[in-house]
Amino acid sequence: MEYLIDLQNVSRQFGDVEALRDVTLQLPPGRIGLLGPNGAGKSTLLKILMGLLPPSSGSGRILHHELTRGSGAANWELRRDIGFMPEADALVPGLKGVEYVALAGELFGMSRRQAQRRAHEVLTYLELEDARYRKLEEYSTGMKQRLKLAQALVHDPPVLLLDEPTSGLDPSGRSAMLRLLLQLGKDFGKSLVLSTHLLGDVEQVCESVVILLNGEVRRQGSVGELCARRQNRYRLQIQGDPNGFLEDLRLEGVELVHDNGRGEVRVAVPPDWITRTFFVLADHHGVAIRGLMDDDESLEELFYRVVGRT
Amino acid sequence: MTTRPAAPVLLTYRPWRGQLHGPWHGIWAIARTSLLMLLRRKLFWALYAFSGMIFLFYFYGQYLQSWIAMQLNEQELRLGSGLVGITVKPKDLLELLKTALRLDGSGYTYRSFISFESQIVMIVQALAGSILIGNDFRFGSIPFYLSKPLHRWHYLGGKFLAVAVLINLMTTIPAIVLFIEYGMINSWDYYVDQWRLLAGILGYGAVLTVCLGLTLLATACGLRRIVPMIMAWTALFVFARLLGDGLAYGLGLNASWRLIDLWNDIYLVGNWCLGMPHGSIRPQPQPEYWEAALTLSGVCTICVVYLHRRIQAVEVVS
Repeated sequence: MEYLIDLQNVSRQFGDVEALRDVTLQLPPGRIGLLGPNGAGKSTLLKILMGLLPPSSGSGRILHHELTRGSGAANWELRRDIGFMPEADALVPGLKGVEYVALAGELFGMSRRQAQRRAHEVLTYLELEDARYRKLEEYSTGMKQRLKLAQALVHDPPVLLLDEPTSGLDPSGRSAMLRLLLQLGKDFGKSLVLSTHLLGDVEQVCESVVILLNGEVRRQGSVGELCARRQNRYRLQIQGDPNGFLEDLRLEGVELVHDNGRGEVRVAVPPDWITRTFFVLADHHGVAIRGLMDDDESLEELFYRVVGRT
Repeated sequence: MTTRPAAPVLLTYRPWRGQLHGPWHGIWAIARTSLLMLLRRKLFWALYAFSGMIFLFYFYGQYLQSWIAMQLNEQELRLGSGLVGITVKPKDLLELLKTALRLDGSGYTYRSFISFESQIVMIVQALAGSILIGNDFRFGSIPFYLSKPLHRWHYLGGKFLAVAVLINLMTTIPAIVLFIEYGMINSWDYYVDQWRLLAGILGYGAVLTVCLGLTLLATACGLRRIVPMIMAWTALFVFARLLGDGLAYGLGLNASWRLIDLWNDIYLVGNWCLGMPHGSIRPQPQPEYWEAALTLSGVCTICVVYLHRRIQAVEVVS
């Protein structure tokens, strides 16, 4: 199987600090979330994936490019296949939107004419066509984020590395950005590596996830595989006064795990529990069960379980 | 009933396939963008205009001299009348003007022209440093450049090229135009006889480009903002001159103390390029040409090492 990222025991040290320790990853092309608290090594890993930093030890491949220790032609070839959206603004003050994206195209090696044409196309796709002749200083945060995505997309790379792409966005801007990323991944076959603190972003966009902690990979795999299946846990959505109903559940041996106070409870049932009992008891207390779902582990729960916090 | 043709769908992603050039292609893109940013600042146009005026003074000065010479004949002219009148030979008067203004197509002409122009260049650069490179640090643009298929030397090369174009547009190229003009209005033999001057102009321009370019990049990398940049350049090119003068002439120490004045060092090496005699440089005594060249080489090496370390550090932490 051709992996997008195939790293073997990659480590990176900065003096005495070990930013990455024996990282071994095998990830197929697709939408990958890179999760971890501050200082987990996400940025270092991104830089290694881009060939900006050589690993102190270990080996690996990204797409069909070998990771090298130098900074020569091999790394330039690698970066041609990658579009990087940095977390920082990374804008060039004094330029207009279209000039900025066209400059990115030229830096990737496009001719000036091609870069300009492509810049207009990409900005139109990202709905920035009306703002393309505005100076970058006049862009809002949401526009800046889309502009950074535009400069990463300008040469149509197969892989996008995205460092906190929804940072600083309001809910509607965030949702629009995630929709764009999902579309790029699903409809246009781009592989995405999404480094973020926001678990919701990963849940919405990514198929697989890598959780880093203290420079080590703690979990990797598809979101579905990693989040534990919990056969004895249910999520109930209740309409009506739930107190008597919940009291009866307790008497039947059901443990109330969480009650959000707005009619949704999560419960752990004893072995040999028959699901129909929920409805019998609800009927007895005059409440309606509007939803009954398996309560599998969420990505958030998985993350906090892995990093050791609640 | 008429039906309108469906509008083309623009809001979709279009794949792109095409030939990509090597990383050297990016150097010109960086340089062009940097120059564009400088051209957009209105303040700089006042300085460019001042630089243009100096050029026009020399250009029309040479032309005017030649035109006057052609209008005159060998006859003596009587200026004034009676006892207060004097008789002058127009050609002698013209020679006097040529000597005083040094618009004689010799090394002196190009030395003074480049020296005047390079003072404007120095002011432009003090103001341009933060725009060219300081802003890239302040606004986090370095990851934008380094995430592309470029080495840090390509990035620096692009910035250096922008500085080089600016310096040469204001010094070397106008000086070459003056050289060509002088030959055209005097004699074609001038090009053959004085080819060394052309090489000297190019040499002086190269010294200015390398020394000022590297110093600018290094100081802008470190200081980033415009006010510290101006202070640093004032210290390097004004206070260092005052200090050098004070030590060498005020306290009567060795002339080598003048080497701390980088501006004077560039001027000395420029004089050497133009083949000017060491004794023609004022004030005297001056350090030897080779001492100035050695000092400038040292400064340039320090700048290159600093730039290498500086950009590397940013690459890691940004």
